[in-house]
Amino acid sequence: MTSARSNVLEIESLSVRYETPDGAVQAVADISLEIAAGECIGVVGESGAGKSQAFLAVMGLLAPNAQVAGDARLRGRELLGADPRALRDLRGAELAMIFQDPMTSLAPHIVVGDQIAEVLVVHKNMSWREARAQALQLLEQAQVTDAARRLTQYPHELSGGMRQRVMIAIALACDPVMLIADEPTTALDVSVQAQILSLLKRLMRERGMALALITHDLGVVAGLADQVAVLYAGRIVESGSVRKLLKNPSHPYTAALLRSMPRIDAPVDEPLVAIGGQPPSPRQPIAGCPFHPRCAAAPSRCTTERPELRRIDGAQVACHFPRSNSASAITL
Amino acid sequence: MLRYALQRISGVIPTLFVIITASFFIIRLAPGGPFDEEQTLPPEIKANLEAAYGLDQPLLVQYGRYMRGLLVGDFGPSFKFKDFSVTELIAQGLPISLTIGLAAVLLAMLVGIPLGALAALRRNTASDYGIMGFAVLGIALPGFVIGPLFALIFGLYLGVLPVAGYESGQPQYLVLPIVTLALPVIAYIARLTRGSLLEVLRSNFVRTARAKGLSPMRVLFRHALRPALLPVVSYLGPATAFVVTGSLVVESVFGLPGTGRYLVQGAINRDYTLVMGMIVVYGAITLLCNLIADLLYGWLDPRVRYE
Ligand SMILES: Nc1ncnc2c1ncn2[C@@H]1O[C@H](COP(=O)(O)OP(=O)(O)OP(=O)(O)O)[C@@H](O)[C@H]1O
Ligand SMILES: [Mg+2]
Repeated sequence: MTSARSNVLEIESLSVRYETPDGAVQAVADISLEIAAGECIGVVGESGAGKSQAFLAVMGLLAPNAQVAGDARLRGRELLGADPRALRDLRGAELAMIFQDPMTSLAPHIVVGDQIAEVLVVHKNMSWREARAQALQLLEQAQVTDAARRLTQYPHELSGGMRQRVMIAIALACDPVMLIADEPTTALDVSVQAQILSLLKRLMRERGMALALITHDLGVVAGLADQVAVLYAGRIVESGSVRKLLKNPSHPYTAALLRSMPRIDAPVDEPLVAIGGQPPSPRQPIAGCPFHPRCAAAPSRCTTERPELRRIDGAQVACHFPRSNSASAITL
Repeated sequence: MLRYALQRISGVIPTLFVIITASFFIIRLAPGGPFDEEQTLPPEIKANLEAAYGLDQPLLVQYGRYMRGLLVGDFGPSFKFKDFSVTELIAQGLPISLTIGLAAVLLAMLVGIPLGALAALRRNTASDYGIMGFAVLGIALPGFVIGPLFALIFGLYLGVLPVAGYESGQPQYLVLPIVTLALPVIAYIARLTRGSLLEVLRSNFVRTARAKGLSPMRVLFRHALRPALLPVVSYLGPATAFVVTGSLVVESVFGLPGTGRYLVQGAINRDYTLVMGMIVVYGAITLLCNLIADLLYGWLDPRVRYE
């Protein structure tokens, strides 16, 4: 991108690989993306596409047997392979993450107020008293009802949605410049979801927070994201501005994804079409384009030669035969 | 937590009552009686003896009398140690047995937990293999092998500790028995701790703790350790039972005047009151340890307090 943009996070050629007893698993393959201050990138793709793995790698939170290659820079500072102590100072403070599974992501034996306050004690040198008072405000900000009472409750006393909001409060405690949110609103009902999303939006606008939003919900992407990256089998198959991708997807997978997902803004008579077949197993990479077995087009070239990402119509697309604008079947 | 504690405590008394009652009648089911082996005893003298100890009364009456005695701490007279009451015998031996038992459990936790944690943190390194190798040995080797071995090494060859025996006020006599008793428990606790800590370290909430930028020490001690100790605490109940039975062996190997021998001798001699006294005391100790384990468990894991 242009150097005028101040990128908060730059990911370059990121790969994550596991050597397991039954063969190597390529969870993430050669992903590059950038997120600027105040910007949101939506990361979409089917289950197992490598969305969580890619950003856990950025956080330095992968299992010890993960082999990570590439670069990830937070405001110019390299994160991968960085000194653990320096990394700790960033994590939870400048760089925060909301995890996918709220039911198991909180410590069962610590009251939630202290789980929030702890971040402030560690990073902001607050006393526990100050930090707990601040935790109350953070809970209220995350739309937790009856927040004062929640402070002294244990996670098992809270519903999944409440725990999700506690996770959000923890992540936002130190005003991160970069927030990674892995399905942050899945456990929430629609009205709370809207409130959380507007909170995230406000933080992006007012404080210039950058947001990587991992989600299955294209409606959420449409409402919040500036950019979208579509992951398939560990690779980015298409990325670009949200308007372009949702209106005129160039990659057949993006188009299929759009057809398969229910959207509030889609015409009611538009049928939902599930994507046939399965994504390739990360244990057995297939030759050619990873999407070709499920692609309607797939001429012979697609079965032998893997398409590289290239610029088409202002987006990055990895497809030998991208859909032209006129061919777009989806009307928005 | 208070409600949970009261609930647990109130469960102990009925359990102890059931244990005592069941033992009382089961012991009487075994053939023979306390005055049987002295073959030369004429029937009328035997009858007199039995009358003197109340053994001629119906079993239910004897049971009622025994229970009334227990309420005021009277375990009745011993049938075989003729000049002693069971209360006196137990009061003599129990301090030693209790000391080595408690010390062994304590030592096992103090050594076993850090060893297990170390093995987990240094997974698949020489320290891990060393600790786990030791644990396998510790579990496999019985006390009557380790005890004499220790006595040989530390008592005879090195001469730093007494081989056996006991003199009151001389704690060095208790060192080898305690270590012998603790060794298998150390080994078991180390293995338990390692396994459960490894699992907890892989859990999502530890990942959250690391994502918060906490130091490895803080992650370990504040977030991982407490949940990881749950299986260890559950093991405390069985561990007490193990130490209680293990102390029988260890006390006889090292010639300690504890209570262990009374249980064996009492059972062989059909010394009803002595066996009952031992069952009451060991039953109470085991229940107490289980109670402590339950309370600890409730403290470690808030979820169980609400069940
Ligand atoms: N420790 C590991 N060892 C081997 N393979 C792993 C490991 N962790 C993850 N994977 C593999 O990495 C791939 C990507 O997983 P990831 O969790 O990133 O998917 P995702 O896109 O986040 O999916 P979802 O939408 O279900 O969250 C999966 O195929 C998974 O099996
Ligand atoms: Mg995921």
